[in-house]
Amino acid sequence: MTSKGEQTVAFALAAILLVVGVVCYAAFPQEEPEEPVRLMFKSTAGKILFDHKTHTVDAGYGIACDDCHHEEQEDGSSSCSGEDCHGPESDPKRGDALHSNCKGCHEDSGAGPVECAACHIM
Amino acid sequence: MSSQQKLVVAHAPYWHDGSKISTKNYNIMIAALPAVLMGISQYGAPALAVIAFAMAFAMIWEVIWNLILGKPASIGDGSAAVTGMLLGMLMPATAPWWVIALGTFIAIIVGKQIFGGIGFNPLNPPLLALAMLVISFKGVFDFDEALRHYDLGFVMTYPLADLKAFGTGAIGKFSLGDLFMGRQAGAIGSTFGLGLIVGGLYLMLRGHMRWEISLSFLAGVFITALLFNLSDPAKYASPVFHLLTGYTLIAAFFLVPEDSSSPANFIPMLIFGAMAGLGTVLIRNIGAYVDGVPFAILLMNLANPLLDKIRPKAIGKVVENA
Repeated sequence: MTSKGEQTVAFALAAILLVVGVVCYAAFPQEEPEEPVRLMFKSTAGKILFDHKTHTVDAGYGIACDDCHHEEQEDGSSSCSGEDCHGPESDPKRGDALHSNCKGCHEDSGAGPVECAACHIM
Repeated sequence: MSSQQKLVVAHAPYWHDGSKISTKNYNIMIAALPAVLMGISQYGAPALAVIAFAMAFAMIWEVIWNLILGKPASIGDGSAAVTGMLLGMLMPATAPWWVIALGTFIAIIVGKQIFGGIGFNPLNPPLLALAMLVISFKGVFDFDEALRHYDLGFVMTYPLADLKAFGTGAIGKFSLGDLFMGRQAGAIGSTFGLGLIVGGLYLMLRGHMRWEISLSFLAGVFITALLFNLSDPAKYASPVFHLLTGYTLIAAFFLVPEDSSSPANFIPMLIFGAMAGLGTVLIRNIGAYVDGVPFAILLMNLANPLLDKIRPKAIGKVVENA
């Protein structure tokens, strides 16, 4: 059996933590940064973690936006797999576009992974 | 003989020495604080939200269960708060609130209360919840994906995921000092090695935790990882890497030595800890999951009643009367 004082402390603790939890969840929702830090591409051949920041910042590879994003997306969405873009019916499909973009650049510059399992988490 | 002294029992009335379960549980929470504070300082309000919500929800589930069964409220013993805190420490800072509500329900109700409450649980409640959540919601516990928006100034990929997917060539970028000081991606309260060790030592010195289980678990992880590493250093990571990454240290000091799901005698404690360590590295190196901690410990929890059959020799001399 626990004493009455302990019960009071526990109930007070539960109430305070609940309020803190609700406030933190409500006041600090998880927002996507304006420019992505890392992206997780999902494909049937496993996920691919892409370090967007390292590729774009000057201290990294300093690649310009339009080197990869060949068209300015009006709604600001980062999705490339829309119907009129690189969707399943498009040519090239998202997978082909990304492969040629990523692997092509890695091969041309002689840096970065080109083997399947070096990007795809299988 | 001094051993005979152990059998002398005075008659009633007895005097209570003043020790309480709540003292122990609040001490565990204090010991876990350095690691929790490190997580909150790194990930900010979302991490605080996860920890606070997990503790609050764990206590709320226990109160609801008490009300349903018509029993007096039992959250005063601090056990539900500890379970909630530990489960929160095992989660990424980005865990959604409903995963926490579900996880604490599994830990408190399924893991503990349906077996009779504190002291009766055959499995470690936070680990049971973690295992069920990891299997059910892989995306939430994929730390690379969950923490993709964070850039904290150190290597932000999850070390064990890198090891599993890309082999030892991909873990050269992690310095052991960084891993030890919590400069690694992972769950809120599981990455700050120094804080977890300090908390664990505090609990050992205060007598709130069995050092035998803790140290044998670490030894099990170390020796198994060392054997793998010696057999093929190009394929398997070093034992120190395994000690400092994933859930190893939080498991060693806060999860494996949980009272009711671990053995009580010396030899069984050593076997229990060492086998859990062995299982952890086996799953990491040749199993399907990135981290083997929850599954290895839950398996050993199941073996616990069997292990406790190994009893110390009874005091006294058997006289043959034949």
